[in-house]
Amino acid sequence: MRKVLIVDDSISVARQLEKMLAESGDFEVVGHGKNGMEAIKMHQSLHPDIICMDMNMPVMDGLTALRTLTALDKNVKVVMVTSLGGVGDKYTEALKLGARNVISKPFEQETVLKVLRDLCPTTA
Amino acid sequence: MAVMFFGQYLVERGVVTREVLLQAIELQESVNLSVGAVAVSMGFLTETEVERINQAQRTEDLRFGDMAAKLGLLNQEQFQQVLTKQKNNHLYIGEALVKVGGLTGEELPRYLEEFKQNQAQYVTDRVVIPEGVANAQIWEVFADLTYKMLTRVARLTFHSEPARVATALPPFSTIAAMEFTGDVNGTYLFAVQDGARKRIASAILNQENVDLEEEEVLDDTVMEFVNVVCGNIAAKVAQLGSSFEIEPPELLDGNSGLSVPPDRTGILFPISLSDGEQASMAIFIK
Repeated sequence: MRKVLIVDDSISVARQLEKMLAESGDFEVVGHGKNGMEAIKMHQSLHPDIICMDMNMPVMDGLTALRTLTALDKNVKVVMVTSLGGVGDKYTEALKLGARNVISKPFEQETVLKVLRDLCPTTA
Repeated sequence: MAVMFFGQYLVERGVVTREVLLQAIELQESVNLSVGAVAVSMGFLTETEVERINQAQRTEDLRFGDMAAKLGLLNQEQFQQVLTKQKNNHLYIGEALVKVGGLTGEELPRYLEEFKQNQAQYVTDRVVIPEGVANAQIWEVFADLTYKMLTRVARLTFHSEPARVATALPPFSTIAAMEFTGDVNGTYLFAVQDGARKRIASAILNQENVDLEEEEVLDDTVMEFVNVVCGNIAAKVAQLGSSFEIEPPELLDGNSGLSVPPDRTGILFPISLSDGEQASMAIFIK
């Protein structure tokens, strides 16, 4: 099982993702951070295989957190899950900062699982 | 599926990798020059004059060409020549992907057609904006994407009523709002009563019965709906050449209604839901 940290200020998004990942049988959600600051702390304490992170959050936004996470750990695997995915500048900035992929909201289970499995293949 | 741009669509489909897309974007950035840089390359302006125009734009809200004309640095005919050259030399992302080897010349039209069909669901339908309101095309996108997401994300059946300028948003039990700042500024508001809130929660959480859910969770689903709508609006508006940033969504106390602040113009987009309940989208434009 691959460990996933979800970072989103929305409880409902965290629940949506958790349900999708639990159904897959390949991923286990190990934590839910509500802003970029919590993402950095939880990455250090939980050591997740993948971080699914929103961009638009209070306290510290996702792109700022991504910049710090990639500086602290060049192997960190962050997938941005955001309603701003279709904004070209934001998408490009995320990739340049080291995001492994960007999933737009509203998302579908099939897309989420494909992106995460490609990024972190599980040993069956 | 959300509002996307072509490069993103190709990465999501697994047609090109993020590394190849980044190479193509870097190529685009080196080829696609700003209006000022094109004017310099044509000998119409010096770099010092471009800097002077950029400085002046920081204190007065004028486009580059208008500011250059105001300062007497560029005439209308020269500006048109600059725009034409900029347009003719523009490298689109698809062409850039072919140049860096991510796609072949034969594949490009096929994927462009696929992309067009995929995004056809987000082609803006006509929404009439009250006369005299500036930037009508942008507010049309706000209304149209709200209606589309109400169907696709919230799975609500409804009838949209004509938009009107108003001085207040009537009372609703739940009002979620999002500030936006940039080429246009204001607050996006989405207001519902309890029945619609439950149905939105049911759709977003993908669970039939939400009766036992806490208030906080039900409210969160309405805020997330607003987040999804506004993010996709930002993407669509960017395709029209304008941009704005959005703040995280917030919940407002709407039991007594909300007055439109004196420095803003309020537009109401009333929505009649199929079960008879009323909802409303509103924009308080700064």
